[in-house]
Amino acid sequence: MKKIYRYLSPLLIACLVLASLPVAAAPQAGSDLISTQEALSAERQLSDRERIHEVLARDDVQQQLLTQGVDPVEVEARVAALSDHEAADMADQLEQLPAGASVVGALFAVFVILLVTDILGLTNVFPFTR
Amino acid sequence: MIACHPRQRQAPLNARLAGVLALVLLTLILAGCATTPRLAETTERRLARQVLLDEIPFHGQRDYQCGPASLAMVLNAEGVDVNVDDLIPQVFLPGREGSVQPEMLATVRRQGRIPFPIAPTFDALLTEIDTGHPVVVMQNLSLPAWPLWHYAVAIGYDLDAEDLILHSGMEPGRIESFRRFDATWARSNRWGFVALTPGEAMPETVAELTAMEAIDAFERVQGASASLPAWESLVERFPGSAMGHFALGNARQAKGDPQAAIEAYRIAVKRRPDLAAGWLNLGLVLRNQGDVTQAREALRRATELPGDWQDHARQALESIR
Repeated sequence: MKKIYRYLSPLLIACLVLASLPVAAAPQAGSDLISTQEALSAERQLSDRERIHEVLARDDVQQQLLTQGVDPVEVEARVAALSDHEAADMADQLEQLPAGASVVGALFAVFVILLVTDILGLTNVFPFTR
Repeated sequence: MIACHPRQRQAPLNARLAGVLALVLLTLILAGCATTPRLAETTERRLARQVLLDEIPFHGQRDYQCGPASLAMVLNAEGVDVNVDDLIPQVFLPGREGSVQPEMLATVRRQGRIPFPIAPTFDALLTEIDTGHPVVVMQNLSLPAWPLWHYAVAIGYDLDAEDLILHSGMEPGRIESFRRFDATWARSNRWGFVALTPGEAMPETVAELTAMEAIDAFERVQGASASLPAWESLVERFPGSAMGHFALGNARQAKGDPQAAIEAYRIAVKRRPDLAAGWLNLGLVLRNQGDVTQAREALRRATELPGDWQDHARQALESIR
């Protein structure tokens, strides 16, 4: 595994550098300015490794959204609307991220415990306890 | 084996006793955790006693759609004509039977509004409602072990009754006690956001860096023309923000107003003379405008600052020698 990374990392860095070159070399006036995004991520003091991770995360998220049953037509637009940071979060832990759904999938024993905590005002599972 | 026998006979009694004790303890611990949130004195003095944003439309959720429903409510309130059915394919995750936080924010961007995460405090929540912003909040209505994640829209409060008012699930204007609400909200680390139209005054409680990241993320989706008014209101709110003026300069330049961009960059480097990116962009735009003397001066300042853009600055400086 380490070996693969050893070859993969320089390759990735090279790809990213190459991919960013045309932007820097574009003749259009004013296009060689430092973008707000670049300046902000410098402010956030991300390491190069983190930056590469954030850039690569989007492909991962795209795959994961497809696996989760999102319409392929929508996937690209959904990924594009994420910030780099959010994309990295989703790529790392989509399974663990809380998904707001508000349906309890629990057992009877849990039902009783939640009923008690509801009455104590700690939770809010059942609409009739208030 | 034999030794176990009497112990076994005693076991049910001990177990019951232990169980009762455990339950009592658990109750005490849990009850100890959940107390009515206390507001800072300054917050309490500043806030109106009762607020209800009654113009916020309500969309009842179906099945697992509290995410899209909450989004529709705040987006409608900000003048976006969109309904729950349009939003479901943009934010709902069929595999998870719910919607995740990053995509809630992303969907607001796609709809042309900027999501600003609020500070994770009860003070911030009430302050935002007081200034007229409905807040999308994430709650875990159940216990951490069996989570029941839920999005709702906080639209009002009553400080005297200690009640929060929310559009939640199937219930418009639902009243929840501060204490119960805060117990369920705390489980999401008090996550919430407001959705604003670019150019609206910055949310009261947003931090400078959070606001900049929010507008930057929006700009990448909707472009500089759409985000320009938001940068204007950012520097109005944080006049000392060098990065804010820098970003404003970039947006003005992208929109084709180099003179105004130069003005913004100048303020940026005045606020923070070590902002290399500010000097560099100032120099480049001045150069493009044909102002060689001043461009050279700005670029020279950029070359003197160590960092990511030193080489870039050197090359630019050499190109106009």
